[in-house]
Amino acid sequence: SLVIRGEKDERAVLCSKDKTYDMKIADTSNMLLFIPGCKTPEQLNADPASCNVIHSQIAGFSKNYWELRRCRPKLKKLRKLLMEDPYEGPSIQKDQTLTFSKYTTEDLLSLIQASEEEILHQLQVIDACKIEGRYWRILEFNYEMKLLDHVTQLIDSESWSLNKVPLRTCLEELGSLEPREMIEHILLSYGRKYVDDGEVYFEMREDKICRAVAQMLLQNAVKFNLSEFQEVWQQSVPEGMTTRLDQLKGLALVDKSSRPETIFLLKVEDLPEDNQERFNSLFRIREKWTEVDITPYIQDLCAEKQTVGALLTKYARSSMLNGVKVYNSRRPIS
Amino acid sequence: SSGAGALAQWVLVELQGEVEPRQSGSLAGSLLGDLHYTCEGIPVLIVGHHILYGKVVQLEKPFAVLVKQAGAPQSSPGEPHGHYTVTALIKTKLLFKTRPKPIITHVPKKV
Repeated sequence: SLVIRGEKDERAVLCSKDKTYDMKIADTSNMLLFIPGCKTPEQLNADPASCNVIHSQIAGFSKNYWELRRCRPKLKKLRKLLMEDPYEGPSIQKDQTLTFSKYTTEDLLSLIQASEEEILHQLQVIDACKIEGRYWRILEFNYEMKLLDHVTQLIDSESWSLNKVPLRTCLEELGSLEPREMIEHILLSYGRKYVDDGEVYFEMREDKICRAVAQMLLQNAVKFNLSEFQEVWQQSVPEGMTTRLDQLKGLALVDKSSRPETIFLLKVEDLPEDNQERFNSLFRIREKWTEVDITPYIQDLCAEKQTVGALLTKYARSSMLNGVKVYNSRRPIS
Repeated sequence: SSGAGALAQWVLVELQGEVEPRQSGSLAGSLLGDLHYTCEGIPVLIVGHHILYGKVVQLEKPFAVLVKQAGAPQSSPGEPHGHYTVTALIKTKLLFKTRPKPIITHVPKKV
């Protein structure tokens, strides 16, 4: 069955099990009459015996109807809800009398304008986990980094290969420091699980770990000297991992026009979800963008079969700057 | 595709403008007109003393007819606040967009 979702201040969407559709009312100046049992010429031809008058009733009429158009699920709200009360670890005893918003899967289904599958997939993408069985939580970033640090330090002291980190030993060694579910969760978030000879191992995800370390460094200042940042960043990631600027797509932006070059944090998930608003905020941050720089910040806006190029054609204007094609806003941005 | 318990298939008739009851009355219960098909399968609608010619159109986007269910007004959080049931599907429409022509009976010429 299908579900219509939306709060009073939102535009209604219709959801199937795995897709989301915008709903619009279409008006027509024509009258639409619906007639049950009305026969088409083909159906009458097939039945040569009927030469009689068939009395049909018009069940009703309408001058408008609902139209559906497939759209991107509206998932920004999901992160927003879960960030109301990020999980900071068991040692932080929150005052139990204060009621923090906690969300079960059912709660999310009635609040988020997306299909169930899209919601569950997004929960996985943002590394949400169920704590106390029922409630979806996101880890507070510093706690997440603390967990990751425990794991990377253990990998280092045990001299394990980054591709073969044993779950069992991690739980044994770190279980006294943090809840076992959290250790397993951080391994699942930052590694790829596999089984070898009956034992569970993780292949650590270099790009994701480097990216997280970069975020940790960048969030402490407005911007950094690029070359200084790159040096500190490389020194801060686990032994054996190599940092690359392309790991930071959608997370940080390099300003090549400043002397010296700088880098600053810009997370795509902090930007507006609506297409026009997204482009407005991007053009407020920077007047002219190259396609390479802007792509990570608009990629998620692409509808089914839509390309970044098509989005740029629609929402931006192109020009040449020093022999390079750049995009700017179609209209003045306040 | 049809099967046991398949959804009813209705037909849409699309008319330009408005339909009004002859005398001041309601549309409900009144006769709209007669629908015929020519040998070529062209739909012909006779409404009052007008005749309309149309065409059969297979809808690119079929319609679903929804009927709202009278349900319990109070529902628990997480439960839907309303139910619609799909009553029928409409995949074909008879589109009448030519001007209705008045039907004039034959007037004999004066000799």
